[in-house]
Formats: sequence, C-alpha cells, structure tokens
Amino acid sequence: MILSAVLLVLLLAIDGLQVAWAEHTSNWAVLVSTSRFWFNYRHLANVLSVYRTVKRLGIPDSQIILMLPDDMACNPRNAFPGTVYSNADRAVDLYGENIEVDYRGYEVTVENFIRLLTDRLDKDVPRSKRLGSDSGSNVLVYMTGHGGDRFLKFQDSEEIGAWDLADAFGQMWEKKRYHELLFMIDTCQANTMYTHLYSSNIIATGSSALDQSSYSHHADNDIGVAVIDRWTYYVLEFLETQVTTPNSKLTLGDLFDSYDETKIHSQPGVRWDLFPGGEREGRLRTVVDFFGNIQNVEVEGNSTESGSLVKDLAEIAKLVDRWRRRDQEHLSTTQNNTNSSPLVLLGNEGRLTYAPQKRIAAATKMTSEDCWSKRLVGALILTGGVAVWVAGSIFGQS
Amino acid sequence: MIPLSISICICLLALFSSRTFAASDYHEQLILQPLPSSSLLASFNFRSNASLQSFEQQHFRFFPRSLGQILQHAQTKELHLRFSTGRWDSESWGTRPWNGSKEGATGVELWAWIEAPTDDEAFARWIALTQSLSGLFCASLNFIDSTRTTRPVASFEPAGDHFPSSQLHLLHGTLPGEVVCTENLTPFLKMLPCKGKAGISSLFDGHKLFDASWQSMSIDVRPVCSEGDERCVVEIEQTIDMVLDIDRSKRPRDNSIPRPVPADQLACDPSKTYNSENICYPLEKTAETGWSLTEVFGRGIKGACPLIDNEIPGSMSVCLRVPHERDVFITPGAFESKNPDGFSRCYILLSPDNFDLVLPEQELQLKVPLEQPVLHAERTIIGHGQERGGMQVILRNPSNTSTVDFIYFESLPWFMRPYLHTLQARLAGIDGLQRQVPVSDIIGDIFFRPAIDRERGTQLELVLSVPPASAVTLIYDIEKAILRYTEYPPDANRGFNVAPAVIRLLDKKDNSTTASPVYLRTTSILLPLPTPDFSMPYNVIILTSTVMALAFGSIFNLLVRRFIAADEVALGSHTLKARLFSQLVVLRDRLRGKVVKVE
Repeated sequence: MILSAVLLVLLLAIDGLQVAWAEHTSNWAVLVSTSRFWFNYRHLANVLSVYRTVKRLGIPDSQIILMLPDDMACNPRNAFPGTVYSNADRAVDLYGENIEVDYRGYEVTVENFIRLLTDRLDKDVPRSKRLGSDSGSNVLVYMTGHGGDRFLKFQDSEEIGAWDLADAFGQMWEKKRYHELLFMIDTCQANTMYTHLYSSNIIATGSSALDQSSYSHHADNDIGVAVIDRWTYYVLEFLETQVTTPNSKLTLGDLFDSYDETKIHSQPGVRWDLFPGGEREGRLRTVVDFFGNIQNVEVEGNSTESGSLVKDLAEIAKLVDRWRRRDQEHLSTTQNNTNSSPLVLLGNEGRLTYAPQKRIAAATKMTSEDCWSKRLVGALILTGGVAVWVAGSIFGQS
Repeated sequence: MIPLSISICICLLALFSSRTFAASDYHEQLILQPLPSSSLLASFNFRSNASLQSFEQQHFRFFPRSLGQILQHAQTKELHLRFSTGRWDSESWGTRPWNGSKEGATGVELWAWIEAPTDDEAFARWIALTQSLSGLFCASLNFIDSTRTTRPVASFEPAGDHFPSSQLHLLHGTLPGEVVCTENLTPFLKMLPCKGKAGISSLFDGHKLFDASWQSMSIDVRPVCSEGDERCVVEIEQTIDMVLDIDRSKRPRDNSIPRPVPADQLACDPSKTYNSENICYPLEKTAETGWSLTEVFGRGIKGACPLIDNEIPGSMSVCLRVPHERDVFITPGAFESKNPDGFSRCYILLSPDNFDLVLPEQELQLKVPLEQPVLHAERTIIGHGQERGGMQVILRNPSNTSTVDFIYFESLPWFMRPYLHTLQARLAGIDGLQRQVPVSDIIGDIFFRPAIDRERGTQLELVLSVPPASAVTLIYDIEKAILRYTEYPPDANRGFNVAPAVIRLLDKKDNSTTASPVYLRTTSILLPLPTPDFSMPYNVIILTSTVMALAFGSIFNLLVRRFIAADEVALGSHTLKARLFSQLVVLRDRLRGKVVKVE
C-alpha cells in the first residue's frame, strides 16, 4: 500500500518534471506566405507578424526560414515605403530595420518548400536557406495564402496538396528532423490541409473548416487593402497580450481555447491524435515550446570521460594517416595518367574520371573577311548545284 | 560638379594611399550635394582593408568575415556587387556620382574575377559564389544561372592588381527584376565595422533609402599591391549613393501621404490675369530648399565611428557641396574646413555626440555648376505584335567638338532572339534629320555570342564612336520565343525584364590606367512575350478527358458485350435448370398452339 503510494507520488513528480522542462534542444520556425500580388498584402502581413512574434520570443534569424513571394515593403503601390503594417493604427512597422528574408519572389515554390523541409538541397545552397533542425528540434510551420479543399495555392500558379504536405512531414519524421511540430495554417478551408498528416508528434491547427472561407480582419484606407486575416489577428492578439515574456507558462490549450468563432467568423480546428498522449498531453505543451527559444543542453555520458578523448585522438590520427596514404596513391596515378588524357578530374570517392576537353564559347569578334569567304563558298556551292541541274536536264532529254 | 567632388575624393585617396599599407585601416566619408528640383544627392563611402596574408589566414579585423570566407571558398579574387533601384536623371542632375563606376544596373548586378584552371571549374565556382551571396544578401542571386551569365570581352577590366600567373575568369550576371529592399540593406550594414550604430552609417534608414528617387548600393573587393614592396592588401569598398526628394523625405513617416498645401501658404503668380482670391497659379520657388540631416534622414549622425584611423586627416568627414555663401548651421563638436574652390566644405567630427547639419531656406546668387554627361543613352523596344519586334538604342553626343568612343555591352535573355544582320545605324546631326549610314562607319568591332535556347543568352559588345553634336540610332530586329508552359513565372503577363546595357567610355587622350573608367547604364526594359491563357490547358484536359471517356466507354461496351434480343434473354439464362424450364415452357406453348411473338 505504502509502496504504491510512493510510486504514485514518483510518477506524479516525473509527470510534473516533464511539464516543467521542455524536452527539445532547439527551436526552428518556417514561416511561409504563398500569395503574390499587391491585393494579397494581408498574407505577407500575417507572416511578418508571426515573424516578429517568434523573434520577440527569442528565436534568432538564423533559425527562422522566412518565405515572402512578393515585395510589399518596397512596392511602388505602397504609400509607406519600406514598411508593412498589420494594423490600421500603423503602430508597429513589421518590416522594421532588421529583417532577413530567406526565400523571396520566384523562389517561393512548392518544390523549394518541400526541398527545404526534407533537406534535399544542392550542396551550394547556403545555410541560411536550410532548415537545420534535428531530432531535438521543435519546429513551427506557419502557412498562409489562398487555399481550397486539401490544397494551398503557391503564387497563383501551382499548389501543394494535403498529401504532399503529409509526405513531407512524414519524411521529416523519418529523417529525425523534428522532435515536435506545430503546424498552423490560415487559409480558406484550412482544416482540410492537415487531415492527411500521418507522422507522429504533430499538433495541427487551422483557421476554417471544410467549405468555409477565412476572412480578413480589417483594411487600412491609406494602404488601400486588407492588412490582416481574422484568425491570425486573434492568435496574435493572444500571443502579444498574454505571452509577453519567453518565460510564459501559458499552454497550447490556453491558446486554442482562446479561439472565438463569433470573432473569427469561421470554425478553427485542432488535430491532436498524432501527438503521443493525444489532447491531454498536447494541451500541456507551452506556447513558448514552439514560439520561443528555450534550449536544453544534451550531455552525452561518454564524451565526458578523459579516456575517450585519447581514444578519439588516436582514431583521428589513424584516419589522417590513411588519407595521406590514399592521397599519395592518387598523386602517383594522376601523374601517370595526365599524359593520356587532356583533362583529369578527381571524383569525390577518389576514382579517376575522364572528362573530354570542353571550352565554353566566348564572344567572338566578327570579321568581314570571314563573311566574304563564306559568301564565296555559298556562291560556289550554288553554281555547282545549278550546273549539275542544267547538265542533268540536257543529258536527260537526249 | 560631382566629378569635382570625386576628384577631391581621389586626391584624398591618393593622400591616404601612401600610408594605406601601414595597417588594416578604415575610412568613411559622406558627400552631400543639393541637386536641382529640390533633390539631395548623398554619397556614402566606406573603405577598409586587410593584408593579403591575414586575409588568407582568415584573420579578419575590419574585413567582414562572412564575405571573406565566401570569397575564399569560391576562389574569387575580385568582386563587384551592385543593388540599384530607380533612374538617374542625367538631364537635370548631370554626371553620375563616381563617374558611374560604383553604379549598377537596375536590380542586382554581379561581376567577379574567379581563379580556376578551366572554364567549367570557373563556372562551378561562380555558381557556388552566387548561391552563397544569395544567402548572405537575402537576394535571389542564385537565379544567375548559365542563361544569365556572360563573359564580357572588352567592357570590364580588373580594378585590382593581380598576379600575372593567376588564371582569372571574368563572369558577369544581372538580375534586372530583382527588388532591392530593407532585407538587402540589413546584411550590408552588418558588414560595416560600426554596423550602423555610429558614424555616417547611423544615417541609414530603410524607410528613407527605399523612398529615394534613385539609389545604388555597391560592394567592391579587390587586391591592391603597392609598387615598391611586395605586400598586398585586400581592399573592400562599400558605397551607397542616393538621390532623395527633400520634400518627400521631410514628410513624417506616420503621415507620409502627400496633402495639398493650405491656401494661405500658396505663393501665387499675381501677373496672371485670372489671379484672384479663389484662383491661384502657383509660383515655382526660386530659393534653395531648406533641410537638415534629421529632417531628411529621420535622424542625425550618432558621433564618429571610433574605429576610424585618426592618424589620417579627413578620414571621417561629412562634405557638403554648396556655395560658400550658403548658411550652414552645425551642432558643436565638429571642425569645419572650406575648400578654396568656393563650392565645398567638409566637417570633421570630433565628439561622440550627435551631429546635425541645418541649411535654412535661402536665395542664392551663385549655384554649384553641374557638369553635363558626355553621352546620353536611351534604349527601347519598338515594333508591335506578339512575334517580332525591334530594339532601338539612341546614343547622343552633346559635345560640339569631340567624338565619343565607347563600348556598348548588352546581354539578352535567350527568349529574345536578335537578328544581327538587320543591324542598321542612323545618324542625326544638328539639323535633326536622320540619315542612314553604313554600320561600319559607326561601329568598330563587334563581339558576339549567339544564344542557345534554355542554355545561354545572347552577348553583344559593340565598339562605337559617335561624332560631335549628333545622335546615333541603332536598330535591330528581334524575335520573341514561345516558352514552355512551366517556364512562365507566376506574373507572366507583367512582361519579362531585360537587363540594361552597360556603356563604358573609352578615353583616348589619357591612356593611364589609374583614372577610374566612366560607365553609364541604360534603364532596364520590359519585354512582353506571348503568354497563353493559363487556365486553358485545364479546360483542354477536362474536355479531352470527357471525350476520351465517352469514346472509350462506348467502344469498350461494343467490344465486350454481346447484344441480344429481349426474348433471347430468357434463353440465355445461366443455369441448366432454368434453361430446361424455359424449353419446357416453349414446348407447352407450342402444344397449346400459341405462337411466340417476336418483338
């Protein structure tokens, strides 16, 4: 009896600990607007508002991937150059003086978005354009744009389906690219976008149910277009007024409970079933677990021992030695081969690959003499042809 | 009179250069010059260097590490990067700042000398360079692919001192449609030693810079070797030039919508016959517009940048190109020195306190003379229709005495196919009459590389000379290619940007290499291409699918079904029992004398 009571207390304590200490070691945010053109100003304002919020709560620019498909701040139609506002009171300039946009303009495509999530990028792609998350990272994915039943349009020319998104997240989970993922989407029929997700540890929320539109909140008469969407407006209102410090203890449950359908004018949805522990566990995650940047340090037991360091050094020395020997072998083989081939390239694995000598054509100077000789050749060929034809017709008659 | 200021600059530079190699040092300078039509030219210049040895050992002091590592990775020996927006109005503003050598084409322009053993390797390094720079400067520089890359033959020459043994490849790329905005200024500022916190860089505000009529940001990295000793330095020079509209800049940011001037503040022309209390013909102001740094830039200079090399005189100065009779009020803590030419004065900041300049509105007898440019260039697309068109370049030489020799360089996208054999030249003299002249009279050499679809663009370089007081019009025909459905950008109906032409003036008289070359660029142009109705393929797919489904369904029916008469249905029943039963029914009917009716 006493034993079971002690166990219960222990369990409760562990439970309490889990709540108090976030398990993740880093935070990443992928913020995507998918709409081009001036009249979609509000979608860029949405995403920039979320950008300002996560930056305020501590995620550095290097861990935020911001995708803006059009330029609103320096748009000639903007009466306030260099600014983007998400409220008609124009109190906060979202573009500010310090902003880093990672993907912009035509770079915001479905392909780039999926490549970013799954890290299938060219080796030359710089680090600021990569999602460097790992199995300890909490990732916030926020998307906004124009969508429909299980699709979201990108730049009015292509679309991402709910299946594509589910597969991208599935691959991220397989590649251990997130620990927990919060997916937020503000678009028409947004809740249909997360119905096909299947990978674990995802909490998803959207602005509107099937067959419902997501509406804009209000317009600014001097800017001339709507400046923010309703759902994002009320999510931000919660974040800005309640989650004021990175140490906030407010949970995702509190955030989702703040949804008011009479204000939002659509039915926001939440999906818990992919999260281990379901809604009960998911509700306990704090908002700053995804919007903030609280980091735990992972300490590996082995590396602290002094003996392992010596072992590691010995291993490295062996590796260096092996590489040196291999280098020398290559050098000798390449020297033997240079005479036979015009150009020798060393492959990554050390294999020798032969490339035919190719020169990229440079602009050449045009000369008139060359032109005349070409004309002469052409005229000769023509007269030759005519001669053959005349001869043929004469001999053919006889 | 901008060149004069530039020449002062060059003199100062020459002064510095004797001691440039002493250590890694840093200089910054701001030149302000009011221009006609109440504009203000502000030229910011930041220069620092690192010795080649420390650069190679990745020991950076003032040189930005982020850029240095990229340059080393891509084996880039010399780099020129430009971000520009707007148009320099040479008719009213005169010659360009820095003679156009620090200016770029609208959008982003990049050219670099890359060391590589082969052309292919140089191109691979170029791609690595553009990708890395795109990450650093938040610009889509990664779109500079093989179709946008050219290798100019005559238009560019290295500005640095390179080892004669190194195999250098010049690569050039332009993104004419690239937007330049705050996210490009942010990394630019982070590269400065004082990072916009102090010194003249504290004036930078994206809201004002991107509200300018014209602005150009540039970064130049080049190796500089002194002749005497073997030591070389890697020099980085960052400049920002902008032309602000003083009236627009003075509007408060939260109320920047222009409002009409109140009636009582209007200056009316009483000589007009209709002038009355209600009708006003506004007079143009003859007085110089009054302005101050805080009004125009939204803030003052937050003291001198403490990293500046104080040993060199004038290393941190704010220069003003106004006549000496103009009243200028400054905050205390700065030292004024007037130039004997009568048109410029400089301030050296001594204190770390805020610095502000105030120029009140004032009637002036004498104005700073503007130097007129040696060549005016204008480039447009002519013709009509979706298939063909033409390109027209008008090059005007305003001088009455001297011929202008220059190199005209343009790179065209592959979907714009020029026909070089149609190139014709027309010459218009003082009388304004256009006469057709043989092309060889105007054009010396032609360097040409034709385009290959989807692989590379056209590159054209012409060596031209325009006789005095005349205008040359060059015209050639173009054909517009039809793109594949997926090759159209999302805003295809807007048109496709064609990069501006670059003109490099050749100075015959003075062949010394020390003088900085004179460049000018035309505006970029928009090429309308035939665009499909993008929803049409879906209609076609839907309709075709319907037709195919209908055809397939009926043919499949015909093939797999046997058509039988209604009465045969009973006979064709499946089970033996049923068949026997039906035979029995038929037999019974016959016995009873009924006739089977066939319908």
